[in-house]
Amino acid sequence: MLSLYRPGDGPLHRMPAGPKLVLILAAVLAVSILPSQWWGAAVAGGAVVLAYALAGLGDGLLGMRELARQVVALRWLIVVTLGAQLVFLGPEPAVSNTARVTAAVLLAGLLALTTRVTELLDAVERGLRPLERLGLDSERAAVLLTVTLTTVPVVARLAGEVREAQRARGGRPGLRYFAVPFLILSLKHADQLGEALAARGVR
Amino acid sequence: MNAGPAIALDDIRVRLGEVDALLDVTLGLDTRTVAVVGENGSGKSTFARLLAGLLAPASGRIRVLGLDPARQAAELRRRVAVVFSNPDAQIVMPTVAEDVAFSLRPERLPRDEQRRRVDAALDRFGLTALRDRSAHDLSGGQKQLLALAGAFVREPDLVVADEPTAYLDARNARRVAAHLLDEGTHRLVLVTHDLALAERCDTAVLFAAGRVEAVGRPADVVAEYERVLSC
Repeated sequence: MLSLYRPGDGPLHRMPAGPKLVLILAAVLAVSILPSQWWGAAVAGGAVVLAYALAGLGDGLLGMRELARQVVALRWLIVVTLGAQLVFLGPEPAVSNTARVTAAVLLAGLLALTTRVTELLDAVERGLRPLERLGLDSERAAVLLTVTLTTVPVVARLAGEVREAQRARGGRPGLRYFAVPFLILSLKHADQLGEALAARGVR
Repeated sequence: MNAGPAIALDDIRVRLGEVDALLDVTLGLDTRTVAVVGENGSGKSTFARLLAGLLAPASGRIRVLGLDPARQAAELRRRVAVVFSNPDAQIVMPTVAEDVAFSLRPERLPRDEQRRRVDAALDRFGLTALRDRSAHDLSGGQKQLLALAGAFVREPDLVVADEPTAYLDARNARRVAAHLLDEGTHRLVLVTHDLALAERCDTAVLFAAGRVEAVGRPADVVAEYERVLSC
């Protein structure tokens, strides 16, 4: 999600991050509670197409090029969700449930596509501020959320490095041989990142 | 108020687990640039973290820019920037410009002022064209330049750099060294294994087994280090 942001000046780009977050959350909830019927799948799909078309993503195809890219990125989620449910639930609930899950993820993706993480960080921090009365540190919580998101590609790279090192040494693939060095590398990275955050003034 | 040397350590002891990482360290450093040399595990990085307020001593007294890191941590963080050797571990935000701007969050600057300083830092480190690029997709050299931009955007009085050229090729190492040593008015504490780089500083400190082995002119300290290495 992290490198998804596309610079632009469409309506969603111009919308402040806070209201945009609430709007997209409402849309995600709305498609999530659609019934498991054919028309539910059609409404979920239609909502996504409409949302991408109105978002002003500037891809030259009224958002459809970006939508196709996102769907391709989700292909395995779609295949696994659809396949498992086809076996146990039958075609109508399987297609409808898969359409709703996919629509929810695609709608949430619009937030990442049109919002810089900095703006999201500010919005989350503002949104959590009322909870400070209950002892929540809104700044720390917002930074935690951001760091969690931005660490995803690093963790993926670390996993790749461990697999490469295993192959280079002729090791057998196996969860145990992967998990231990991966965990150690991840914890080491967490330590270093913690120091870097502290050095940059994060409490 | 700040009459002593910029960096003053008096009988400092730092324990990491069961080990004394620094022991009996007494130093007064007041030159603009200080190189810190020594073998792996000699205490260099611990010294750097101590100056940045990232570690607390078990005993002894320390002042950095006249500040007590234990009691004036927020002010110290505002005036001291740190650059580590691993550029990947310093990236916090997804894009280059956002990562530089993240360093300014604690200062709560007006948006225009923040943008001006971020733009200036990106320009200074040659990152303007990369401002919207994913920070994790940069080359190692570019990532370290980004780390420098994130440090210098805060306009620090002291930069503590812990082996900042360790992961870089010769060209990028030279660029990073030039930014650290030759530009600006900031003070610099440079932990390095590059003895030629150490000799470009005003003062050098040699650590061995957690203790200060030598302090003085870089040429003399490096000569002493070479002598130790040849034993």
